Amino acid sequence: MAESRVRVTANSETCVTSSLCVYRVPGVFDQDPEGRVLVLDAHPSAELGRELLRAERGCPTRSITVEGLDRSGLDEADEGTARVEGAA
Amino acid sequence: MSSSCPVSYPFPWAPAPDIPADWRTMRDQPLLEITLPSGDPAVIVTRYKDVRRLFADERLSRNTSRHPASRISASNDLFGDPEIDNDPPRYLEERAVVMRAFSARRIEALRPVVREITAELMDAMEAGPRPAELMEAFAYPLPILVICHMLGIPPADRAKFRRLIDGYLSVTKLPVDEVERCRTQYWDYLSELIASKRAEPGDDLISELIRVSEEDPEKLTDYQLQHWVKTLLIAGYVTTASQIGTGMAVLLHRPETAKELQQDLSLVPSAVEELLRYQIMGTSLGSLRYALEDIELLDGTVVAKGTTVLLSVESNMDEEVFSDACTLDIRREDNHHMTFGAGIHFCAGAALARMELQEATDGLLRRFPSLRLAVPGEELQRPVGGFLAGYAEIPVSW
Repeated sequence: MAESRVRVTANSETCVTSSLCVYRVPGVFDQDPEGRVLVLDAHPSAELGRELLRAERGCPTRSITVEGLDRSGLDEADEGTARVEGAA
Repeated sequence: MSSSCPVSYPFPWAPAPDIPADWRTMRDQPLLEITLPSGDPAVIVTRYKDVRRLFADERLSRNTSRHPASRISASNDLFGDPEIDNDPPRYLEERAVVMRAFSARRIEALRPVVREITAELMDAMEAGPRPAELMEAFAYPLPILVICHMLGIPPADRAKFRRLIDGYLSVTKLPVDEVERCRTQYWDYLSELIASKRAEPGDDLISELIRVSEEDPEKLTDYQLQHWVKTLLIAGYVTTASQIGTGMAVLLHRPETAKELQQDLSLVPSAVEELLRYQIMGTSLGSLRYALEDIELLDGTVVAKGTTVLLSVESNMDEEVFSDACTLDIRREDNHHMTFGAGIHFCAGAALARMELQEATDGLLRRFPSLRLAVPGEELQRPVGGFLAGYAEIPVSW
């Protein structure tokens, strides 16, 4: 089977340990001993798409980025939300 | 901005465990002029998208001790400590010291402890008279015992620090000298607590913070250490206690919803989120910010530099984001409410609070299948003049 086209990245520098991603998609996200986000699986199955996008959207500091998913038809409620750039 | 007739904030509550009518109409304007309990002016940002953006905007500072920022209270300097710089990067370095204690793994390790405390409190409630008073019998002791466990505080101290914190969190309830007395005594209590932990360290968060501060006094000064213990103790119990009570009151005021949840307890996590969204225990007063620059909202309205700003939790009622926002829906999905804030000041204890709320809700509904309010919801009284707006008493029976 070809590798998933989905790509998940996370910025541990801006992470504030909300733990929302870990609870939402435990196989993909974890935390280091300091409580900062870790990506366990950078190319998860596209079947997790909805949950991944929820984790991305729910992150309070916008520290999670999900690429390679079809976003059409998704709720764009957070359109315009600023990311915390280089907050650390 | 011209001042017409600013409304007083917090908005008056509905008589039943329901949301204030003002929340429903607030969104007509993206920015609403309000008068704080201190009498000082401020503006409240009402729309979800703006609120969420501004929580992440470093042009809004949490340090409101600077002139001419408005105060929350005329008789209390809540959130106005000039010695605590709550702006990044210093804030992020400090916060990193406590964050590890709130990781998902550490919180899940606490879950059995919380479940045990919950069971003991319910045993006592069941053995006691009916109706029981839910705040005193359950909602207050649970998070207090949990935070005592985490911070390594003797549970026997709880009556003492409860009284001091209650005074410290007065907004209009107590005169200035009384608030000051509580503040000083609370600070002295914390000094003694930290001194005793220094002498006899344990396997608890205060001892851990002391170790960090001894290893690197620059990273966490004595003052900052004490400030964090103060904050963790306050935030760790008052808010959660209020929300446990408020959530149950909202739920039990709607017996058919309570029944629905009881019949499918797998809905507890989503119900807890919805009760937090619909939450009526708190106001936006804790998210007071100061505009360091002019800031434009999405529709072009400008928050002027030098304005004191509240980022409203009432934006949880934004119909553009939450369908049927004024209806309690325990099955609501994608419930990204603003109750814990967003951005770098996102509530550090959110995961702990969620876990406690889940255990409390699940525990009560499981143990007391016929749990109900012992008075009509309309008769529940709110505490007056405090920082939080939960309920003074919640009589329940079963």
